[in-house]
Amino acid sequence: MPYSEKYWQKEEIMPKKDLMELQFKRLKHTVKNAYENVPFYRKKLKEARIHPDDIKKREDVSKLPFTVKEDLRDTYPFGLFAVPKEKLVRIHTSSGTSGKPKVVGYTKRDLDNWINMVARCLYMTGIRNHDVFQNMVSYALFTGGLGMHYGAELIGAMVVPSATGNTERQISYIQDFGTTAIHATPSYALHIKEVAEKMDLRPDELGLKIGCFGAEPWSDSMRKRLEESFGLKAFDSYGLSEMNGPGVAFECEEQNGLHIWADHYFIEIIDEEGKPAGEGERGELVLTPLTKEAMPLLRYRTGDLTYTIDYKCSCGRTHPKIHRILGRADDMIVVRGINVFPSQIEHILMKIPDAGDSYQVVITREGTLDEMKVRVEMKDELFRGELEDFRRIQSKIQKELLKEVGLRINVDLVEKGTLERFKLKAKRVLDMRKDTI
Amino acid sequence: MYWNPGAEKTPIKDLREIQERKLKALVHNVYYYSPFYRKKFREAGINPWDIEGLKDLKKLPFTKKPDLRDNYPFGMFAMPLSQIVRFHASSGTTGKPTVVGYTDNDIKVWVESMCRSLTACSVERDDTIQISYGYGLFTGGLGFHYAGEKLGATVLPTSAGNTQRQIELMRDLKSTVFACTPSYMLYLSEYAASIGISIENDTDLRMGIFGAEPWSEETRKRIEDKAGIDAYDVYGTSELSGPLFTECTEKNGIHIWADQFIAEIVDEEGEPVGEGEKGELVVTTIAKEAMPLIRWKTGDITVLEEEKCACGRTHPRIMRIMGRADDMLIVRGVNVFPSQIEHVLMQVPEAGDHYMIILDRAQDGLDVMTIQVEVNEEAFSDKVSDILELSKKISNNLKSVLNVSARVEVVNPGTLQRFEGKAKRVIDNRKL
Repeated sequence: MPYSEKYWQKEEIMPKKDLMELQFKRLKHTVKNAYENVPFYRKKLKEARIHPDDIKKREDVSKLPFTVKEDLRDTYPFGLFAVPKEKLVRIHTSSGTSGKPKVVGYTKRDLDNWINMVARCLYMTGIRNHDVFQNMVSYALFTGGLGMHYGAELIGAMVVPSATGNTERQISYIQDFGTTAIHATPSYALHIKEVAEKMDLRPDELGLKIGCFGAEPWSDSMRKRLEESFGLKAFDSYGLSEMNGPGVAFECEEQNGLHIWADHYFIEIIDEEGKPAGEGERGELVLTPLTKEAMPLLRYRTGDLTYTIDYKCSCGRTHPKIHRILGRADDMIVVRGINVFPSQIEHILMKIPDAGDSYQVVITREGTLDEMKVRVEMKDELFRGELEDFRRIQSKIQKELLKEVGLRINVDLVEKGTLERFKLKAKRVLDMRKDTI
Repeated sequence: MYWNPGAEKTPIKDLREIQERKLKALVHNVYYYSPFYRKKFREAGINPWDIEGLKDLKKLPFTKKPDLRDNYPFGMFAMPLSQIVRFHASSGTTGKPTVVGYTDNDIKVWVESMCRSLTACSVERDDTIQISYGYGLFTGGLGFHYAGEKLGATVLPTSAGNTQRQIELMRDLKSTVFACTPSYMLYLSEYAASIGISIENDTDLRMGIFGAEPWSEETRKRIEDKAGIDAYDVYGTSELSGPLFTECTEKNGIHIWADQFIAEIVDEEGEPVGEGEKGELVVTTIAKEAMPLIRWKTGDITVLEEEKCACGRTHPRIMRIMGRADDMLIVRGVNVFPSQIEHVLMQVPEAGDHYMIILDRAQDGLDVMTIQVEVNEEAFSDKVSDILELSKKISNNLKSVLNVSARVEVVNPGTLQRFEGKAKRVIDNRKL
C-alpha cells in the first residue's frame, strides 16, 4: 500500500538530517557485515589496514578500498556472497563480454527492498494501479525486465510482460490493452515510433502517458523528441545489476536530475585519481549498497560519470539527486587528446530538426591522426530537395559539433533505414583504431 | 514433504464438498459479472439456481478456444480492469492472440498451486532452479519463477536459448533443478556431450521438470539415462493460468488440485466417459477471479485417476497427455494450428493454393517444421534467387505469427499431392 497519494514510502520524505544519520548508521553496519561474512573483504580490509571500527565519521568512508567490476569476475561465482546458499532466492548474471559473467544474488529481504525501490520510482513518475504498464525490455537474467515487472505489479498496475522483439505486435498490444506507460531503451522507443508510422499510425495517438527509459545514456534533446513523438512524459531511469538492478535512481516530476535513494545507497563522486570530487563537480559515481544482505559491496565503482545536484526538490523528496549519466568512464572516446562522450554528439544531433533518430560514430586512424566521423540518418524529404540545402545542413551539424566537442568531425548524411537498429542497448560507436594499432 | 498438508490431504469427501460449494458460487458469480457467460447460460436455458451440485456440472455449456478469440481482448473478464495486475498472451490464429488476465489473488492461487506441485516432486529451499522456459508473455517462465522464489529456492532465470551459456551457468552456479521442454533437455544433453561435459558427472543437476509439449515414458527413460537425473512431467495451459501441476515423486500421474479446479474427461460428443477411460480433459476453474472458465475444453487427451495416491495426496491425477483432440501441433513447446500457417500462406500473393506441413524430430531432439508450398503460375520463375527470396519472405511472415521458425520450401506448381475429400496436409514423423 502506498504511504500517501504522492509517495510510495514514507522514507522518501524523511528529514534530511535523519536520512543522513540513518545512511551513516547503515554504512557502519555494512562494513562490519562485509568484514565478518565475506572473506574477500576481510582480506581486503586487512591489507588496507582498516578495521570496521575505524569508520567513525562520514569522511572515513574514503579510507575503504574500492570494489571494481574485475573483483566480481575474479570471485566468480559465489565469492562475494555474505549469506549461505539456502538464504538466496534469486540469482541474476550479466553477460560477460569477456569470459565469465558477473553474478549477483538476492535474499528474500533484498528482493523486498529492491521491489519497493522500483515501486517508489514508478510511483514517482505517476504510475498508479489503474495504469497499464508494458515492459518492453528483456526478462530473465537481465535485471531490467523482472525488476520493473515486480515493482509495477506491487503498485497494482496491470503489467504486460511483452519483453523485446516483434515490434508490430508490441504496437498492437499498446492499442488493444490500452497501455498507458512503457519501459524501454530510448533507442527502442524510437524504433517503435518508426514502425508505428510505417503502419500508418500516429505515435502520439497511441495513448501513452508515461515513458521510463534507461539502460543506455540519453540526452535532453532525445527526451524532447520522445515526448513530442509520443505525447508522453519521459523519465530517466538509472540502475545496475550490482546495485540490484533498475530503481537505484529515477527522475521525479521536475525532470531535473535523478533522486538516488540515500537510505539504501551511500553515494560518492570521485575524480580520476579516486579522490572525492568537489561539490557539484563531475566524476565517477561510487556506490555502497546499505541494505543488501546477500552481496554487500563496498565503494563499488560504477563507471558512470555524473555529478550530484543537492537542493531542496519541489517534489518534496529529501533524497539527493544525480545529473543524468553523462557517459561511461570507459565509454569516453579520446580523439586527438580530446575527451568526447557519445551523449554529447547525440545531444547535438537531436537538436537538428531534419536529423532522423539513428546515428553512428566511426573513429578511424589515418597514419597517426584520428578521424572522427558521424553518420546520421536524415528525413526523406532532404534527399528529394536541393543539393544546396543538403550541404547547408551538413555544414551546420559540423559547426554545432565543433562548438560542443571542440573537434572537427566529418558528417555523413545517409538515407533513412541505412543504419542498424537496436532492440536492446544501442551500440553506436565504432572504434576502428584498435585494428590499426 | 507437503507444501500445504492440510489442503493436499483433505479427505476426498470433503474435497467434493468444497468443489460443490465453489462451483455454485462460481456460476452465480459469472452469471452476474460476465456478460459472456450470462449470454451463454441464457442460450443454453440455464439459470444459476439450476446448479445444485457437482451432479449438475454436465448441464453447463463448454467454453472453447474460439470463445476466447471472439471476445478479445477483455470480453471474458469477470472483474473490472482496475483489479487486473497482469496479462499474459499466446499467439493467435489470425493475428489476434488469446489474452489471459490475473488479479492479485489469481497470481497467489497460481503460485500456491505451483508451490504444492514443486514440493510434490521434491524441490526444496536448498535447490537452485534454472528456469529455461521463455519469460515474458508466455506463462512458462514467470509461472515457475514466482513459485520457485516463494518456495525459498534459489531461482536462476536463464529463460530459453543460448545452450552453451545454459550449461556454463548450470555448472558454475550449481543448479540442481532444470525446467524446460523435454526436447530441449535432450538437445542440451547432446550438446553438453559434444563439448565434453557430462550432465551426470560434471554438474549438480539432480532433477528436471519438463512440459509444454507431449512426451512419453520412453523419452523419460532416455532423459534419465542420458543426464542421470529424475525427470518429472508438468501440466498447465495459459488459459488456466500457466504451468500448474506436476507429478509427485511416485511418477504415476499429475495431481490436479481439486480445491482450485474441477477436472472431467469427456468423449468426442462431449459426454462424460466411463471410469478410467480416455478422453478430452475439461477443466472448470473454481478459484480464479479475473477470467474464470467453465468447462474449458483443453483439447488434451488423457485419463483421470481418482484413487488416493501412494504419496498421501487425495487430489485426483491425470495421466500423461496422450495427444490432442483438435489439430493443434506442438512444435518446440509452441502451439501451432495448421490454420495459422494457411492464413499466412494465403496472404502471400506469390503462394499457390497447395501446401504441406512436415514435422520431424532431428537427431539432437529438436523439432523441425518444414512447410512446402507451391508457387503460383504467374509468379513462377526460373531464377533461383527469386525462389529463395520468396522462401525467406514466407519464413519471416510465419515466424512473426507463430513465434517458432519453420523451414520453407517453395516448389513448382503442380508438384504437391492433391486431395479428394478432406485434405491431410500434416505429416508428423516425430516419435514421442
